[in-house]
Amino acid sequence: MAELLQYLITGLAVGMVYALIGLCFVLIWKSSGVANLALGQLVLLSSWFTYSMLVQAKLPLWLGFMAVILFALALGWIIERVVLRPLIAQPILSLITVTLGLGYFIEGVVSFIWPWSVAALPRLFPKEPIHIGPTVVSQEHLWVAGISLLIFGLLSLFFRYHKMGIAMRATADDQLAVQACGIPVTTIFSRSWMFACVLAAVGGVLVSSIGGITFGLVETGLKAFSVVILGGLNSFGGALIAGPIIGLAENLGGGYLTPYLWGGIKDIIPFIIIIIVVIIRPYGLFGEERIERI
Amino acid sequence: MLKLNNIEVTYLNVIRVLHGVSLEMDDISIVALLGANGAGKTTTLKAISGLLHVEEGEVTSGNIEWNGIKINEKHAEEIGKLGIIQALEGRRVFEHLNTAENLMVGAYYRTDGRAVKRDLDMVCGYFPRLKELKHNIAGYLSGGEQQMLVIGRAMMSTPKLMLLDEPSLGLAPLLVEEIYNIIERFNTEHKTSVMLVEQNVRIALSIARYGYVMESGRVVLDGSAEFLRNNEDVKEFYMGLSTVGTKKSYREVKHYKRRKRWL
Repeated sequence: MAELLQYLITGLAVGMVYALIGLCFVLIWKSSGVANLALGQLVLLSSWFTYSMLVQAKLPLWLGFMAVILFALALGWIIERVVLRPLIAQPILSLITVTLGLGYFIEGVVSFIWPWSVAALPRLFPKEPIHIGPTVVSQEHLWVAGISLLIFGLLSLFFRYHKMGIAMRATADDQLAVQACGIPVTTIFSRSWMFACVLAAVGGVLVSSIGGITFGLVETGLKAFSVVILGGLNSFGGALIAGPIIGLAENLGGGYLTPYLWGGIKDIIPFIIIIIVVIIRPYGLFGEERIERI
Repeated sequence: MLKLNNIEVTYLNVIRVLHGVSLEMDDISIVALLGANGAGKTTTLKAISGLLHVEEGEVTSGNIEWNGIKINEKHAEEIGKLGIIQALEGRRVFEHLNTAENLMVGAYYRTDGRAVKRDLDMVCGYFPRLKELKHNIAGYLSGGEQQMLVIGRAMMSTPKLMLLDEPSLGLAPLLVEEIYNIIERFNTEHKTSVMLVEQNVRIALSIARYGYVMESGRVVLDGSAEFLRNNEDVKEFYMGLSTVGTKKSYREVKHYKRRKRWL
């Protein structure tokens, strides 16, 4: 019983972070129709950058985070400007492939600059576990889940009410019509990449504050990808619900199945879910089906 | 004052679509561009609004002047800020946004919040139907409602010149008339010029003051609406009438088709 609650809490918290990183995908997909496959690498890169700021440069926490956010904004801007803008109006396959290439490029850069394979970030949240009855719940996980939820709320408000948010959704629908309204789509793309990189950075810091920085973060990106597929490629709410589902499936499955199967089962559960979802509901739980007037 | 001086438009550096089009438009006027499919009407609009650049088209010779500023090399967003907004052909609403959000996209680059809100009411005044549908998803609106939304969205940016591409496409005659009345009202009440591209010659010339007839990338005939309405060739080829406004007798039609050569 105590075990179960532990798995539940961990699963939910980890799932929320997956969802947050998944948002990074949804954001770009929604506004520009580009599938960003460099998700995990962006997470990895910003985690290492955080390490440099907090541990190597020994900046105070708040200053370090400011630096990380600025770095993420700049990164997003550069990626859009250098990698994606020249490919505007090219076939979608080229755009997807270029993000794949970008991912490997980042991975190379990371292992060049930070050649250690593992590092730990300083603890960001209180470490003492909370006791609820007989169960011990990690306070860190609760913090992580809370922060993710907060960011979710802010983003949904942004997309619902802010004119830039509305314009981003409009761009996802019809780029030419958006330009006909006098809106520069390149600005929209640029902003969405900047936001997405910040999300990846926040997600990365949250994950690695608990688990440390490893190349496993790239895999975290892939898991976030499975969250997005389950929730629907263009649905924020979908990611919010699918994240915890994946997190729970992973932790419960990992916890209870490992003794019967093999040790790595935990890590492949999200991908098994991807396969099942793609077969049954290719557009995910809450993804947009194309609107057809009847 | 809009002026096109002998412009040529080429797509992808090889396909020349316009071969020297010149036209002029006074402020607060309504001008119709008429012609068969593929005559270059939409391309002319896109050349003015700057959307040509998006489709790898280019004004390769001649120039476009708007109130004395050369605009043929500017991008759509700059031209939009100068007050020229195009409503695309084919009811291109943002399907997954609701009606109000669609209208707000039209006012994107405006910063005067209060005026935007006032104009939202103004648009709802012109199209009362849109007010009822404020929270409906645009993709599920009917064709007529979508067309109203597209025109309303263009109005939201308070343009000085509105370029409308086939506002009557696929709509019932009654609705077409309603929309045209609204366009005319908007023109007089808000001092907005309107350039219309239309297949429906009769309705276009009913509100336009001046018209240009285009044929394979050239302007072949122009004149006041009055003049065009009474022009024999326009009547026969675009309104389906022969002399003196009587219906054509198909008994006398030759088995080969008479074709007008304009040049």
